[in-house]
Amino acid sequence: MQDDRSGRVTVRELSKRFGGVQAVEGLTFSVEPGAVTGFLGPNGSGKTTTLRMILGLVTPTAGEARINGVPFAELGRPARVVGAVLEAQGFHPARTARAHLLACAAAIEVPDDAVEHVLGAVGLGDAGFQPVGDYSLGMRQRLALAVALLGDPQVLVLDEPGNGLDPEGIAWLRAFLRAFAAQGRSVLISSHLLAEVEQTADHLVVISHGRCVYQGSLAQLQGSRTARVLVRSNDPVKLADALAATGVLEIDTLSEGWLGVAGSDPVHIGDVALAAGVPVYGMVHERVELEQLYFQLTAEPWRVG
Amino acid sequence: MRPAPIWPPVRAEWRKVVSTRLWWGLLVPVVLLSSMINLFGGVFTAAFPEEQLPLLLGSLAYALGTTSVFAAVHGIVAAAGEYRHRTITTTYLTSRGRGPVLAAKMLVSAGVGACYAVATVVSGLLAGVAADAGTTFPAAGPLVATVLIGVAVSACWGALGAAFGTVVSNLVSALVALLLYLMVGELLLGALLDEAESGTVRALSSYLPGNAGEVAVYGIPARELAGPITGPQVVELLAGVTAPPDWTMALLVLALWTGAVGVLGWFIGARRDIT
Repeated sequence: MQDDRSGRVTVRELSKRFGGVQAVEGLTFSVEPGAVTGFLGPNGSGKTTTLRMILGLVTPTAGEARINGVPFAELGRPARVVGAVLEAQGFHPARTARAHLLACAAAIEVPDDAVEHVLGAVGLGDAGFQPVGDYSLGMRQRLALAVALLGDPQVLVLDEPGNGLDPEGIAWLRAFLRAFAAQGRSVLISSHLLAEVEQTADHLVVISHGRCVYQGSLAQLQGSRTARVLVRSNDPVKLADALAATGVLEIDTLSEGWLGVAGSDPVHIGDVALAAGVPVYGMVHERVELEQLYFQLTAEPWRVG
Repeated sequence: MRPAPIWPPVRAEWRKVVSTRLWWGLLVPVVLLSSMINLFGGVFTAAFPEEQLPLLLGSLAYALGTTSVFAAVHGIVAAAGEYRHRTITTTYLTSRGRGPVLAAKMLVSAGVGACYAVATVVSGLLAGVAADAGTTFPAAGPLVATVLIGVAVSACWGALGAAFGTVVSNLVSALVALLLYLMVGELLLGALLDEAESGTVRALSSYLPGNAGEVAVYGIPARELAGPITGPQVVELLAGVTAPPDWTMALLVLALWTGAVGVLGWFIGARRDIT
């Protein structure tokens, strides 16, 4: 097996069992270069375990994860290929950020100059000589990102990077990841909140209870449910008949004179209502809330019904 | 695939060691203990001028045997501390495989252990001379030999500590287990072995890691002070063993223990899930 330098991450039939708990089950997805892939799922759905299996920190019970076509353990210089910001990744509180990075630089075999470079890149240029124990959570996240970037990797893996970052930091990270992916590199970013990756991710992998429940683009997810127009009139039955006569058949009767009309638009409905002589009191474009779709995808079985 | 070169992880481990206060935090008791022990060695040498006994050699050996435990403590903290502070994730993500990480930790901790032994010797000799042992200063040959053996024993304990810290991975458990074993466990085991009928079984106590290290450092000073016939009996008394082997064998035994714990660390470390 040879490192193919593609920047692609492939996960195939990946499973992990911790004692009696099935953390991940038969997960298959891929992360393509040049894009940001959002890895979504509620807390405890197996995201962290999956990322740690990709990074060779946890051994899968079954299946495999590959980066550039090879398992992590077989990458010649792993930190030059993949950088990671993980949740339970710590620092010695008494060690300065620079000392921490210098130790990593020695292990990765990059020149010491790279340390100043990454400290500047994550906005910690002035805090390098402080012990990490004095750092805020946000600064630690930035330092973790600096470590991940030290080897100038092709692939970035981030586990819930939004935790601890202030809104300014989140906006900065978003722009950073977009630019990183635009260079033809790969980004895999996990979150339990759709809103956090909605503006960054091109592709989504949604998991629930260790299984994949959706994989595809954000646009596809939005398109998977047809938008409706809600219209209120004084005679919904007559309006529905008039609409049906024009070929609009997906109509739901709602309460208080409202109709939910799919496969049409407000202009057409308004014209039909006028022609039929039905007064219209209001029309609303029903928005497909991604968050709602996400909830439906990842909901507990009993809530789906 | 070519084997991973050991130099990058060794440099990384070295930088980790020198960027926290642990190494000199442990160096302070090493120097204090050695100074105190050898102060007495010097005082006693001066007290018996007519005997012409280089007692300082004995106190130096005792100091080397005592301070080597700090080398082990350093090794344990260097390895298990990575789990405590959760830096092991970063360490594994930046290294080619877990084997080289363990090897580098053992090598660097062995180096720190060797430095502790040198510090023990330097501070010990200064304290001994200050206490007026100059009248009967140990001869160069036995002194150099004792120092070199002490350095080797301390280096072994450093490496063994790093391997043990990788096996146990919980810092407090590893430290408590090691100290309990050295202070109580080995004494109990030795007493148990001493109950045995067979002389072979009784002699086994010299082959326990703590005793092996002590037998190695006491060998030459005991012979210098008590002569070739009574020397081994002095070693028996000091190390609490029966029929001790000579220092080369004892050092080899400690090195084998170090290797065995290293293999165990390699085996367990490679399979551990870092969650």
